[in-house]
Amino acid sequence: MSLYIAHANEASHQEFDFGDNVDVGTFEQILDMDEGEEDDGHEFSRSIVFGFLEQAETTFVKMERALKENDLRQLSELGHYLKGSSATLGFTKVKDQCEKIQHWGARKDETGSNPETDDKKNLKLINESLKKVRENVEEVNNLMVKYYKQLEGEE
Amino acid sequence: MERIFALTPVPTIVLDESLHIIQISTSFCTRSDLDATACRDLHIYDFVRTKTPELNVHSLQHAIDKALTTKQKAFSTTVNSSVQKNNTTTTSTTTSWHFQVTPIFEGDKLLYILVEAPLEDNAPVDDHLTKEPYGDPRYTSETYRILINSVKDYAIFMIDKTGNVTTWNPGAALIKGYQQEDIIGKNFSIFYGEEDRKARKPQKELEICLREGKVEDEGWRYRKDGTRFWANVLIRPVHRGDKLYGFCKVTRDLTERKAAELRLISAFEEASKLKSTFLANMSHEIRTPMHGMLSALSLLMDTGLTPEQHELASIIQESGSVLLQIINNILDYSKLAAGSFTTVMDVINLPGVVYNVIKCNQASLKPNVTFDSRLDPKIPRTARGDPLRYRQILQNLVGNALKFTDSGSIQIHVTLVNNDETSYEVMTEVIDTGIGIPPNLTGSLFTPFTQLDNSSTKRYTGSGLGLSICKRLAELMGGTIGYRPHSALSGSIFWFIVKLSRLEVQTSSFPVRAAPNVDITRLAAGKQILLAEDNLINQTVMLKLLRKFGFEKVDVASNGEEAVRAVRQKPLTYSLILMDISMPVLDGIEATTEIRKSGLDIPIIAMTANALKTDEEAYLAKGLNDYVPKPVDRELLLRVLEKWLQRSISLA
Repeated sequence: MSLYIAHANEASHQEFDFGDNVDVGTFEQILDMDEGEEDDGHEFSRSIVFGFLEQAETTFVKMERALKENDLRQLSELGHYLKGSSATLGFTKVKDQCEKIQHWGARKDETGSNPETDDKKNLKLINESLKKVRENVEEVNNLMVKYYKQLEGEE
Repeated sequence: MERIFALTPVPTIVLDESLHIIQISTSFCTRSDLDATACRDLHIYDFVRTKTPELNVHSLQHAIDKALTTKQKAFSTTVNSSVQKNNTTTTSTTTSWHFQVTPIFEGDKLLYILVEAPLEDNAPVDDHLTKEPYGDPRYTSETYRILINSVKDYAIFMIDKTGNVTTWNPGAALIKGYQQEDIIGKNFSIFYGEEDRKARKPQKELEICLREGKVEDEGWRYRKDGTRFWANVLIRPVHRGDKLYGFCKVTRDLTERKAAELRLISAFEEASKLKSTFLANMSHEIRTPMHGMLSALSLLMDTGLTPEQHELASIIQESGSVLLQIINNILDYSKLAAGSFTTVMDVINLPGVVYNVIKCNQASLKPNVTFDSRLDPKIPRTARGDPLRYRQILQNLVGNALKFTDSGSIQIHVTLVNNDETSYEVMTEVIDTGIGIPPNLTGSLFTPFTQLDNSSTKRYTGSGLGLSICKRLAELMGGTIGYRPHSALSGSIFWFIVKLSRLEVQTSSFPVRAAPNVDITRLAAGKQILLAEDNLINQTVMLKLLRKFGFEKVDVASNGEEAVRAVRQKPLTYSLILMDISMPVLDGIEATTEIRKSGLDIPIIAMTANALKTDEEAYLAKGLNDYVPKPVDRELLLRVLEKWLQRSISLA
């Protein structure tokens, strides 16, 4: 389901299609922070975006370890943690997967509204979700590399 | 002169003051077959008894007595007589008579009495009508006069075609204070107030009366002394044949009843308000232990129960959630009814709310149902409104759609119906292909405590309050709510319209360079803020944002414990705390509790992704002052900061 119709009037943003990977409105807020004399090269947003990608990688490693140890609680916390930063940047798909991991880790169903006490099932679902979220992060990574190249090219 | 009475065609007898016959007209003699000279000097009663036994002496006696007491003309009742004319032997004619008695006085002295007996009708008389005294027009008109004169509680009077009063009864005199001689001939508009007269109400009433055959009205009317009373007025036109003769008007004084009604209404309103307040308090009181029970239950369920125990615990949990939902509804409804419900003006992001509602409800979707949305590109991305209340309405309608749709689709359509320089009107429709609503029940949809499925085998749970809450909420937001059936397919379309204001400062849309708001820069100067946030990325973003707003000194805590420590070390340093809710070691709520325990009342703003209304209220209950959903919206954060920093200035 694609929800956002990008509302920016100006051109450069709409020309770049993030698909449904990025909530444009939220991401704009981060880009807005670049503007200022001290930051002509989009350094701030770039550092945040790529900082996030690193954070994601570290988190995934921790998640894999927790998976091996069947530590659902740890998985839930890690899911929540990465959910927070992906939400701040508007990386919707990543955020949605992290939220599911958080819920399964808390022994609930994927929406978090009903309990799910079958731990094997929960671990299996998290394992699948972790693969997906890695793919999502990879996609975001590629998009962002392209996007910042395009920005540099323009300036 | 004598010849007048001798030859008058109306059968007439002239009596002296002692009721003896002075003269009898030829017409009388002819009719009753009498000899005039034989009648002279007879006492009238003897005359009637001996000469015309067919006439009723009592009725005549009564009329004469009345005429002498009132000095006015009086009538006897009608008498029927069959007269056998002497020249015909086979037929008899039935005639009906009545006497008309006219006393002639000079000053107080009685001179003569004129008794006339005009022939009424020669046609054969309907027995049924005449044998009964009630059918007699003279008798009835007299009875009516008595009736009308003895009714003291109603003003009953006639007015002519132009509205001038022509008759007056004692009731009218009592109610309106005018005596008969004051009022006869005056226009009835005199009873109306100045404003009514200016609005030509009296004339209009007569016009309506002619058109519709009747006018009934309640309103203030004025007495002779200028005091007013609450009147019920009934006017009907009176026709004689085809001609309008005038109007009859009946007025009642309802002042007492009106006052009693007002007392009743205010007593009722008072009681109803008390009830709502009571409900609101009680629901609040019930909710708190309910939350406790449910949280304890979910902990219990994690303690390795046997499958059977788990099954039972799930039932408790499910029933508990339903109960909580109902209590929440009652609380909302009673707050709305008690008028203590307010909307909070905030930045509302419509696509965001719709997206969230769809996402949150995916789980309750039945397998054969699709759920999506269509947003008008013209709707504003951000506007000023109450996002929580908007979401509440939408969630409620979507919740219903989910409940009643077993297959097909549910769609949310959001369209811009109107916009001007200051506001937008946005229509949101929830369209489903569910069971729909029978046409005869659509009228009661928005009535509180009504559920359409009242059968004993109810499939659907609920308090029956959802839609009436939505209705009130939509009205609070300057809009309306409605229903129409889904054309072509079965199912329902619920729609609501809300009014949103434009943001004074447009959210800076990329890549417009937004200058920081002057106010916040001024407010930020010299202020120190504590940011409690565990995620490094979010910390960096928040720090950057706060710096852009003009906050130069921002301390960071990466968990709740650090936050508490920082505040305790420098209790008077911070003007405000931004508190993430889920943090390791000590979460935001626990940290807030600790800070409040130290007796510090710094504004603490919660930041969380749990954008649920109940959570928000729970946070406020725990001592947090306000709430910003995550991901943090720039404009919203700005407003919240402005609000709380300004407040602390005005308090200091």
